[in-house]
Amino acid sequence: MASTLRLYLTCIRNTLEAAMCLQNFPCQEVERHNKPEVELKTSPELLLNPVLICRNEAEKCLIETSINSLRISLKVKQADELENILTKKFLRFLSMRAEAFQVLRRKPVQGYDISFLITNYHCEEMQKHKLIDFIVQFMEDIDKEISELKMSANTRGRLVATEFLKQFI
Amino acid sequence: MAGAEGFVEADNAEAIMIRIEHKTRKIESLLKQCKPVEALKTALEGTHAMTRDERCKSAHWIVVHRALMAIKDVDGMLSSLDPEYYDILMKYLYKGLATGDRPTCDQCLRIHEKLTEKAGFGCILRHLADTVNTV
Repeated sequence: MASTLRLYLTCIRNTLEAAMCLQNFPCQEVERHNKPEVELKTSPELLLNPVLICRNEAEKCLIETSINSLRISLKVKQADELENILTKKFLRFLSMRAEAFQVLRRKPVQGYDISFLITNYHCEEMQKHKLIDFIVQFMEDIDKEISELKMSANTRGRLVATEFLKQFI
Repeated sequence: MAGAEGFVEADNAEAIMIRIEHKTRKIESLLKQCKPVEALKTALEGTHAMTRDERCKSAHWIVVHRALMAIKDVDGMLSSLDPEYYDILMKYLYKGLATGDRPTCDQCLRIHEKLTEKAGFGCILRHLADTVNTV
């Protein structure tokens, strides 16, 4: 169980190391514009093959690269309804504060829970291996966070129910 | 002109399908003899004849998948595989990872880690950059 997680994260790390080869590329269609090509997908020659890495049926990671930008979309494991709601709320909370994260995308790509958009400017300002460390660490921590949230929600629910039902004893 | 090209592609596709069937039989016999590495080599060989026909691609994939799932010793397999097959193997690994089927993904992740150590990041980048010859 833990070994597949390690292999999954290693695979993603290796793929990101290879895929994060970004350079500045002004827009070909409109002069004086500089847009992340992976979002617009106007010119096929600027895009690389998208790569889908699945750990199992529930968890997957889509990595799309282009000449000046890279998009990573994650689908987090959601075992039951409660985890579903907690994941959605928690990741929405993070996405709304995408400005603070810089590399986070405000809306996840269709079919995924959260997305990152890394452009050549980010690679110029920040170190490439640190960016990759951040993404992989994020993936590790997200699972822990969701389990913690679920446990605290269950504990709170149990306490509240016990207190409330005491009056009927 | 496009019609003539269409014909050539169809003939080629039939020839490739027949070759794949021969390969499947050969691979099954190799697997029965407990030679998974030879089976994988045989599976990866013919795929150099890249084709755009979807049936050929899926037939190739089924053959390679059968050989991949039979591999138990990944290190031994990689040390006896010729380096010219690393790129093709990487493409098929990513195809396997995209399926989402748990045992396939487990096996592909295991081989991917070892193959990256052996072949380097260039192998991954060649797969990303090759939009023409996809598997």
